[in-house]
Amino acid sequence: MSIFESIKMAFSSLFAHKLRSILTMLGIIIGVGSVIAVVAIGQGGEAVLKSMFSGEANTIELMYMPSDEEIEADPSILYEDAFTQTDIDMIESIPEIEKVVSSSTESTNVRYQQESTESMVIGINQAYIDVHGLEIAHGRNLVAADFLGGSRAAIVSEEMKDELFEDGEEKDASELLGTVVYMNNQPIEIVGILEAEDNFFGLSMNSAYIPMNTWQTVFADTAITEVSIKANSADELEIAGEKAAAMLNTFHEKDDAYQILNMEEIADGIGKITRIMTIIISSIAGVSLLVGGIGVMNIMLVSVTERTREIGVRMSLGATRGQILFQFLVEAMTLTLIGGLIGMALGSGTALLVSHFAGWQPLVSLPVIVGGILFSMLIGVVFGLLPANKASRLDPIESLRYE
Amino acid sequence: MIELHNIVKSYLVAGEDLVVLKDIHLTIEQGEFVAIMGPSGSGKSTLMNIIGCLDKPTSGEYHLQKKLVSDYNEKELAGVRNQSIGFVFQQFQLLPRLTALQNVELPMIYAGIGKKERIERAEDALDKVGLKDRMNHLPNELSGGQKQRVAIARSIVNEPSIILADEPTGALDTKTGEQIMDMFTLLNKEGTTVILVTHEAEVASYAERTVFVRDGELTSADEVVGHEALEKLRTKHDSAEQNNERGNFVNLEDVFEETETDDGTKGEEEATH
Repeated sequence: MSIFESIKMAFSSLFAHKLRSILTMLGIIIGVGSVIAVVAIGQGGEAVLKSMFSGEANTIELMYMPSDEEIEADPSILYEDAFTQTDIDMIESIPEIEKVVSSSTESTNVRYQQESTESMVIGINQAYIDVHGLEIAHGRNLVAADFLGGSRAAIVSEEMKDELFEDGEEKDASELLGTVVYMNNQPIEIVGILEAEDNFFGLSMNSAYIPMNTWQTVFADTAITEVSIKANSADELEIAGEKAAAMLNTFHEKDDAYQILNMEEIADGIGKITRIMTIIISSIAGVSLLVGGIGVMNIMLVSVTERTREIGVRMSLGATRGQILFQFLVEAMTLTLIGGLIGMALGSGTALLVSHFAGWQPLVSLPVIVGGILFSMLIGVVFGLLPANKASRLDPIESLRYE
Repeated sequence: MIELHNIVKSYLVAGEDLVVLKDIHLTIEQGEFVAIMGPSGSGKSTLMNIIGCLDKPTSGEYHLQKKLVSDYNEKELAGVRNQSIGFVFQQFQLLPRLTALQNVELPMIYAGIGKKERIERAEDALDKVGLKDRMNHLPNELSGGQKQRVAIARSIVNEPSIILADEPTGALDTKTGEQIMDMFTLLNKEGTTVILVTHEAEVASYAERTVFVRDGELTSADEVVGHEALEKLRTKHDSAEQNNERGNFVNLEDVFEETETDDGTKGEEEATH
């Protein structure tokens, strides 16, 4: 008896009990579907998180992190400015470095007439705009002249605009341009309003961007809190970062206080977290598969009992016990395989839908699909074995007499 | 050729040995038409199951075509059932979801015969029992007699040397039963050994030889049924058979054509179960 004959027999007997077959498949459909959806969504999410952390526009961040020994030796080290303009100018001379992006952030009170709000005021250099780009909805961006002259110009976020002006009569956003607000009690003119950020995590901040020189004047502080570098090419990024860190350590006579933020480690960490989450959710889906498998076993046992006479007839016509076993095993496998295929279609569909709405890359990978098919067949074998074995062990004489 | 020596079959029931067959000796030559008769519970079905390789004797030797059956393993026994023996049952035992043609195909599926040849041979077998025009019908669309004819087609499709029929007319009315018995007679004339299990003398009278089983033992005919009565029935069938025969060539289809034209209607009625 060929495999083809067995599969045909399996289909015809599953087709004879359509509703029962579909209900039995449901457990497998849900199980396989959810595993595939979860893995695909998990991988998509991981890719998104990694890209967020591996820095936009191929940049690498420099960190001022004195070691415990250094802090112990000289506690005042913590109060030193992380970076100064001298540092920036120095590392800009490294040949591999294309741009040095620097920014300083201070949380302060921003006031307009009677309204005031607590806000992040970020001082940036021109490279910041070149690298990150600020999406302006109204007005203009900060330009070279603002940075060189330290003009009192600010670009504010949509949120800050709402906070400061919402109570006043509804004004058109463009009419607010040129308005003078007070940041840390210093007058600054609003020249641009940022595009409202609409990202997936809903992280939108009440913030304002001003030129670095202006920031240093407003807060009477020369410290630069964040420095990141952009290399000529992505390949040189790591080397450029290491050179910059080494140069700063030498200049400031530190052992290892200046470091580059190791993206790989962070990416690995994120990978680990998403993997753990995937494992947890997949185990829940696995339980559904287990329950589905038990359902298959249950219905196959019922089927064997119902078809006792058929088994007796087949044996009297010359079917070996092996052929009977194979027939029921193929039937169970066909059941779970069809369930697996439907589950795969639904799971992939769900994953595609979610990634579409989240704006991720859809990640339904071939190994997951192949694995899903093989796994659903394996469930058929595992849970079909007991009923099939029971069928093959029947006594033909008793079976022929079975009513 | 079937040779049974010292065949004993016993079951362990509630801790006690229940002996169903006691020391059976029986030889059936190739081409014989033998009826095994006996009342219910006499052990005749058990004897048939042993001959049909569905059951194994507790002790004793069974030689089928000069080979000791107890030497066969499960797989070889299945092969014997598939190739050498054709079963016909009282309740037809057709698979309800398969058409007549597919039912007849079954033994060939297990023999590993390809689809094209299977369909050809199944059609031939159904043609032989006069049911070619109904081959795509499901069993529940067929009358009792038609079902049994499909079962006979299934039993002969692998060209076995032995046909084992267990009360083949038990679920049929007399007229249909007679047609089925005529069919066995004709198959026997073609050289097939036919072994019939029945408790009806009328049915047994079709056979050339009758073996009686009572309480697990072979006994003489007179104890079970009046010998003279049996002889009388036999001569009656013999003359009927001679009427059917035209020369030496016998065709099963002729039997059915004849009976159906005789009645003017369908020769069988739905059997009651």
